[in-house]
Amino acid sequence: MNLSRIVQEGIGTLAAHKLRTFFMMLGTILGIASLMVVLAIGKASRQEVMKRVNAFGTRLVKVNAGGGKGYTKPQAGVTTLRLEDAEAIRSSITGWDIVTSVSQRHGIPMKAGNFQTTADVFAVDSDWHEAMDWPAQEGDGIAPEDLATMAHVCVLGTRLAKDLFGDENPVGSDIHIGNIRFYIKGVLTHHSASPGGDDENNRAVIPLTTGLRRVFNQNHLTYIRVRMKNSSNVPIAAEQIRQLLHDRHHITPPQTDDFSIVTAAEVAEAARGISGTLTVLLIALAGLSLLIGGVVMMNILLISVTERKPEIGLRRALGATRGAIAGQFLAESMVITFIGAAIGALLGWGVSLLLPRYTSLKTVISWEPFALAVAFALVVGLVFGVHPARRAARLNPVEALR
Amino acid sequence: MIEVEGIEKTYTSGSIQTPVLKGISFRIEAGEFIAIMGASGTGKSTLMNILGCLDKPTAGHYRLDGTDMVSLEDDALSRLRNHKIGFVFQQFHLLDRASALRNVMLPLIYTDPYPEDADARAEKALTAVGLSDRMTYKPSQLSGGQQQRVAIARALVTDPVVILADEPTGNLDSQSGLEVLAEFQKLHRGGRTIVLVTHDLTVAQHASRIVVLKDGRIMEDQRVTAPRDAEAELQRQRNTEDTR
Repeated sequence: MNLSRIVQEGIGTLAAHKLRTFFMMLGTILGIASLMVVLAIGKASRQEVMKRVNAFGTRLVKVNAGGGKGYTKPQAGVTTLRLEDAEAIRSSITGWDIVTSVSQRHGIPMKAGNFQTTADVFAVDSDWHEAMDWPAQEGDGIAPEDLATMAHVCVLGTRLAKDLFGDENPVGSDIHIGNIRFYIKGVLTHHSASPGGDDENNRAVIPLTTGLRRVFNQNHLTYIRVRMKNSSNVPIAAEQIRQLLHDRHHITPPQTDDFSIVTAAEVAEAARGISGTLTVLLIALAGLSLLIGGVVMMNILLISVTERKPEIGLRRALGATRGAIAGQFLAESMVITFIGAAIGALLGWGVSLLLPRYTSLKTVISWEPFALAVAFALVVGLVFGVHPARRAARLNPVEALR
Repeated sequence: MIEVEGIEKTYTSGSIQTPVLKGISFRIEAGEFIAIMGASGTGKSTLMNILGCLDKPTAGHYRLDGTDMVSLEDDALSRLRNHKIGFVFQQFHLLDRASALRNVMLPLIYTDPYPEDADARAEKALTAVGLSDRMTYKPSQLSGGQQQRVAIARALVTDPVVILADEPTGNLDSQSGLEVLAEFQKLHRGGRTIVLVTHDLTVAQHASRIVVLKDGRIMEDQRVTAPRDAEAELQRQRNTEDTR
């Protein structure tokens, strides 16, 4: 069989019936185009998830005061999370790298000289700088002695430093946090503003003991950050910490927890959120439209088999085997879906480029969906071409010629 | 060359059996121009389909150029048709979208391996039927007689052992019909074996032998001592037109 000649015959037929060919292609074009767009959106949202997970840290188990499910925030009014809990975690959980406690308050008045503002106060352990990977760029960070002596020292964020001291170096100056005077021993490195708009640099960091006894006058923590040595231990550690705090806080499920545990898994889940489910649904819809396109193509091809009976009979009389006839029709269906996929891929690529410009949707274009589109289209062409091809091949030449 | 021996064909529809051919035997020697004649319903189309290896007989043997087609599989029959038979149909059966040249090349697509000189062979066949100046024309741009000559060129292009023509003049006016018959007579003089199926005695009289079918049997099989000469008839027609 001269395959290339037979494929040429198929292409010739398609070229001769342009409108019919276009309608046969339409389903594939739209299906592949939407598949490409959905995959580009899906890829972008997966990258966003990865970004947030990495920003949170894959080795981190964060224990927040206050209950709740998923990616929770600490609750200010809850007083049950204590330093003793952090101590218990240190002694009964294995595999941790750093366990650091934080007590924080928002919007505390700050005053230095004639300037005043409000900022967040973070009362922290001395290993906080290492845990947050957030050292002081000027002066020093909070040290163990500061906690031991309940020293009135603080380290400022760059924003707070700028608001109160302008371009002057604040290290060595004093600041009033609330009504209490602190010595400024350092300035933190600058953090770029988070996408949410919160400026993390508008803060004062003070020793945990000083914060609890002298400033907040309380015994409870806002959260405990547990950094594991190995990210694979995170799920187990999270569960062990949950058990430990259940015991220590005398909670028996189904009683609700007075704490919540956040790991990268919760962050990823939250980031995926609705968009993850939606992406799966959209991929299913795009696949469905491809299938419908395939069925439409199959039906048009079946009609064309009936229309072209005399032609098929002629070809059989002139010596075409059943295989050659089937091959011609299969070539037609596969050329249709292949070209349809190519057009659809280009269309999808164009839409993926334009979407971020005119909507809030983000897209990431990669080559995998192109390969997938072409493979998918050829499969659709084959699957939905087989039936018309077989019907054409099985025609009795005597009857077809009549 | 063609040996037909006791061919029977019975169509079965449910429990009803309709015998169409009831034992037909004849031989056709190489180079013969034979007309198979009969009214409609005498089984001549059925016989034509069997001779063309498009259909198999219920009983009997048919040897074409030494090959008994009765035992062949479908693919082998396709190859046999491709190599040994040239078809000419009443309705021409040309592909509308293809040029005369492409139409003539069509059987070669199914020849394995595809002949290197396919274009040259098609041009030669078209030249042989007097259409060397119409090669790029589409069928719609050609007259009925020209279309049928393209079909004859298509039948010739594989250099078959026999040309089977089924009512080749049936869709043509008398002059175009004579042109086509003149073409067959020319091919006959050149040594081609031609089987022409018709219901029309005048058409059949252009052959050198007439086999008459009736009711599924051969009723008559005789030589034509003085076949009609299509070329001469054409000439006479032209003269009459000139004198008018």
